[in-house]
Parts: sequence; structure tokens; C-alpha cells
Amino acid sequence: MNLQLPGFGEWVAAFFTLCIFSFLYRDNVLYRVAESIFAGISFGYYVGLAKLNTLDPNLFRPLFGDFAAHWTLLIPFTLGLMLYLRYIPKLAWISNWSLAVYIGYYIGVNLLQKLHGDILPQARGTMVSLSGDWGSVIGSGIVFVGVVVVLIYFFFSSPHRGPLKPASRLGIYYLMISFGASFGYTVMGRISLLIGRLTFLVHEWARPLVMAVLGG
Amino acid sequence: MNWANRLLLVDRRIIFLMVFVGALIPIIRPIGLAVQISPPVEAVFDYVEGLRPGDTILLSFDYGPADGPELDPMANSILRHCYRKGIKVIGMSLFPLGGVEMGIARLNELSTELNAQGGTDWANLGYKDGGQAAMKAMGEDIAAVFPTDVNGVAYGAIPMTRGIRSYRDMKLAVSLATSVLGEWWINLVNAQFGIPVAVGTTAVSAPRYYAYMEAKQAIGILGGMKGASEYEELVERAYPDLKGLSRTATMGMDVQSIVHIIIIFFILFGNAMFLLTRRTREA
Amino acid sequence: MKRQIPILLAIGASLYPVIAFFVPTRGVTRFNQTLDEWMVIIASFALLLGIVSMIQVNLAKVHRRSSGWLYGLIVLVTFAIMATFGLFGRQGARPEGGLYPFTWVFQFAFSPLQSTMFSVLAFYVASASYRAFRVRNVEATLLLIGALIIMIGRIPLGQSIHPIVPQIAEWIMKVPNTAAQRGVIIGAALGAAAMSIRVMVGIERPYLGKS
Repeated sequence: MNLQLPGFGEWVAAFFTLCIFSFLYRDNVLYRVAESIFAGISFGYYVGLAKLNTLDPNLFRPLFGDFAAHWTLLIPFTLGLMLYLRYIPKLAWISNWSLAVYIGYYIGVNLLQKLHGDILPQARGTMVSLSGDWGSVIGSGIVFVGVVVVLIYFFFSSPHRGPLKPASRLGIYYLMISFGASFGYTVMGRISLLIGRLTFLVHEWARPLVMAVLGG
Repeated sequence: MNWANRLLLVDRRIIFLMVFVGALIPIIRPIGLAVQISPPVEAVFDYVEGLRPGDTILLSFDYGPADGPELDPMANSILRHCYRKGIKVIGMSLFPLGGVEMGIARLNELSTELNAQGGTDWANLGYKDGGQAAMKAMGEDIAAVFPTDVNGVAYGAIPMTRGIRSYRDMKLAVSLATSVLGEWWINLVNAQFGIPVAVGTTAVSAPRYYAYMEAKQAIGILGGMKGASEYEELVERAYPDLKGLSRTATMGMDVQSIVHIIIIFFILFGNAMFLLTRRTREA
Repeated sequence: MKRQIPILLAIGASLYPVIAFFVPTRGVTRFNQTLDEWMVIIASFALLLGIVSMIQVNLAKVHRRSSGWLYGLIVLVTFAIMATFGLFGRQGARPEGGLYPFTWVFQFAFSPLQSTMFSVLAFYVASASYRAFRVRNVEATLLLIGALIIMIGRIPLGQSIHPIVPQIAEWIMKVPNTAAQRGVIIGAALGAAAMSIRVMVGIERPYLGKS
């Protein structure tokens, strides 16, 4: 039987895991240190990620490797650098030009996504199909009613009086059932994260350690 | 009812301890509960099963290490299914905080497990910034977005990418997603480019995707660890020679069962104590 | 100039993808494709914007020796180490075996830290379920019923109780949940679309900030 102590990486991972878990007992220095290390590594990771995965292959290598063919990349390069002028108070107004292009582009893309990719297909999917068995027709009808009353509930431009009141109430009931389902799934999701950590601690750190110390 | 009040105000660390013990025991001693299959997962499996050897799918690792326990098993099962059927996989990521590392880990581990060849059976294009911008650009020219793979090999030099210029040349896009990225694959890529999309998502986001699936915008969904365990079961049923490979999601469902029971008990017991104390106050 | 040009740029940048969608001629599509590729690069620069603020805040904290300044120093040092690995190294597995430092730190430090921080939520969900989840009215009761059916129906125990339990759970997801989620998706999409149009016509100017 191969009795191997956990590797150095596993020890580091187990140490950090236990530091964070220690917060469950109470706030302490080890937790704060681990939290600070996490924050520092996250920011450093973004720098390496951007450079290795986007800036090198999509900007620097084509631009400086074959300038004649890729000189237009100077435009996004300049716009990108302009974003950082916001930290120089006298020149901060220039960064607004770059920010305007960036935000404007994503606003336009988002509009198409919402109209073409969300509203129209979802509205189409809500139409009751009268072909098919009674079960699916009734189910489609329940969905149709639900979508309408939920949208009535979210319509805050006029007070929910008269026929809007019971419709809005029914909308809340649909939402509560959905939120209950979401809660159930959320519980499953959170437990999954705990399973991941405990599985690591037991199978990749504690078990090899105990087996190696006790000699199998 | 003094004791009911005291029970309601019990130190939360006792609750933490009960959850900890409840989760630990099935990890040390697995129970082996059976997995039942649901239609959304079966729909994804059937679609992949219906593809032919040589077809190419896109697998986007849009999640980070925090979502690993739920989405890694999905990645493993889908990769096993594809490699077993001879379906080629192009891996990529649009999730900044760890997506590329999750992709590297899954693709390398599974290629060793099933002897799949990088460049011929799978390729890893790595991560790209831009989110929707990258998704849109890939609709015309993947090489313009990913000029090289994660190791710096030019896109055109990867054998399996010859003939794969855009979404039109692929049969399916699978996004293993946390947050809103899975929705973008549906309401942008599927809506504007027509490629069928399947989403493997964390349990927290799963309820939302039912609306997309019912509107036929997604062919199916794998929701959380439950969805992952179902896909593991389906792959093993269809390919018994893959029995014995790790089934982390199925093992995790044992823990889910025990902890769910504990939490249901907490909810019901807490409400019972609350009703008792309320009755005492009203009396 | 300082206000007009950004407004014109925003209107132009937001209208172009929409025009390209409805007018798919070759020239329009080609520039649309180029714009998409440029935005990938600009997004990369935007991703790093927050880092400058982070460095400024923590440097000030360390310089002033204000409360918790040691933690600020840890943030800066670990940031510098990781950024160095990323800027001057590579990612993934080495050809000769092992991992490059950038990926090693990610796998054995960042990954367990982030995973454990999120996993702690499982304990708080259990605590909140016991202490805060109360059926005070009809709405809360419906929420509880929905939650219990899903929680039982989604585990193997549900099938053991009765085969209809998981089917009821699936029906809840496919019918009332779908209806509610669809209403939320449509409502949110309408709101987002309205906001987009306001930016596209220059009424909302989030890119101008306080100026």
C-alpha cells in the first residue's frame, strides 16, 4: 500500500480551509489573515489572467509582431489606456470618452439580448398550445395565468385596486411557490459547497495523513 | 414555555456542529442511495447521445472553484460521454475568476483517464475577456477571438479545429455556468446564432433556467449536484465499461439527503417552538 | 466638448450593434465583427480598473497606520507576488510535470480559500432555517410548502417515500416556478430594455459620472 503524506500543496490548502472554518467558532486573526491573502491573490490573479489570456494573444503579439497588418489595434489599445486617466484629476474627463464607448456598446448588445433573446421567446413560450393532451393544455394554462398575474404584481405604476388586487395577490402566491423552490435549491447548492470542502479535508488531507502516521 | 424559548435561542454553533457531523458521516461512510433521472437531464443526455462520432461541441467552463463541487462532476460526465462516443470537444471559458483553471484541470484529468488526445479529441482555447463581445464575435470567427489556445498554439494549427470557423460548424454549446453567463449563452448565442444550447448550472440558479427550457431556448438543464449525479448515472447505464470511475456527485447526494433531513427538521422544529411560544404569549 | 463628445460616442457605440443586427450587409457586419474584437481588448483593461483603487486604498491605510493596516499590507504583498507570477510567468501545467507558480497558487491557495468561504454559507442556511424561517402568513406557508416539496423531492429519500414525490417536485418546477420565473425574466428584461433606450438617446449618461 502506498502510504504517502499529503503533499505541500494539500497542506497549504488544508491550512487555509481550517483558517476560514475557524470563523464559525468566532472571528479571529487567522481568519483575517486568510481573508487578506484571498483578497490579494484575487487581484493579482486578474492581472495575470488579463495579460496571459487576452492582452498577449489578442493585442500585444499581433500589434508588435506584425504592425502593418494590425495597426488598427492601436484604437482599442488607446481606448483601454484612456480608462486609467480617471485617476489623474486634471485628465479624468478624457476617460469619459473611453467609458462612453465601452458602456454604450454593452448597452446596445444588452438591448438586443433582452428584446430578441428574453422577451419575445418567453412571450412565445407562454402562449397556450391547444394541441396535445389535457395535462399539457392545463399546465400551459396555469403557466399563462401565472405569467400574467406576476407581471400585474410587478406593475407599480398604478395602485393595485379593483380587479388588479386579486390578480396581484395570485401573482404573489406564484412567486412564493417559486421562491420556496428556489430556497430548496439554494439549500442544496450551499450544502454542495460544504461537501466539496469536507471531501477534500477527509480524502486528500486527513485520511492520507492518518494512514501514513498509523502505518496503514 | 420557558424551555421552548430556550430551544429557540440555542447557540448557533450547536446547529453548525449538527450540520458538520451530518455532512461528515456519509463522506467517511458512503450510503450508496439510488439516483433517479429527471427529464431536463435526460434531454441533454439524449441529445449528446444522438450526435455522431466526429461531431464537435463547445464546452464553456463558466465557473470558478467555489462552484467546483457541483459543476466539476458535470464536466467529467460530459467529457466521458463525448470521448466515449468520439465527439470532439472545444473547451473555453468566459468566467474571469478561475474558469480557465477549471477547464485546464478537467480537460487534462479526463484526457489522462480515457486516453483522449489533446489537439485531436479536445482543445482548450482558454479564457477571454469581454463576455457578450466574445460570444458575438465567435458567431463569425472563433480564431479572431481565440488566436491561440491556452498553451499558445495557433488556432489554425490545432488539427481538430480545421473546418470549425464559428458556431455554425458545431452541433451543441454546453455552458457550465454560475451567475448570468449561462443566460447569455441562451439569450444571445442561441437566440442570434441558432446553435442548440444546454446549461449545467449551480442549484441556486437552476429554477430560473426552467423558464428558458420550457420556452425551448435550451435543450435541457443540469441543475446542481443532483443534475450532475443524474448525468453520471445515465453515462454509466449507457456505457457499463465506464463503471468504476469516480462519481463524486452521486456520493455527494448521500450527504445531501442527510443534511436536507436535518434542515427540514430544523425548519419544522423551529416553527413548532415558535407556535408554542406564540400560544403562551397569547394566553 | 467634454460632455457632447462622450454622449455622441455612447449613442454611436450603442446604436451600431443594433443596426448591424437589422442590416446584415457585408460592410456593416465586418465593422460589427471588428467592434466586437476591440471590445474584448477594452474589457480586459476595464477588468483591471478596480485594482488601481485597491492599491490606492491599501497604500493609504498602510501609510497612515490606521486600524487593520497589517491586513492591508498582506493584501498588497500577496497581490504583488501573484501579479508577478502572472506578468512574468505562464499558466497551467509545465511540460516536464508540476504546475507553473501562477496556477499552483491558484489551485492550492485561492481555490480552497474561495471554496471554503462559500461553503460556510451551508451552516448559516441551517441556522437561518431554524431561527428565521417562520410561517406567519399565507405567503410564508406557500414558501415553506414549496421548499419542503423540492427539498424532499430532489433527494433519493423522496423516491423512497413514494414515486410521486419527485414527480410533484418536477411539476412544481415546470409549471408554477416557470410561470413566476418567466414573469420575472420578462419584467426585468422590459426594465433593462427601457434603461438601454434611455442611454441610447442620451437621457441617461452613466459614463459621465459626477461631472
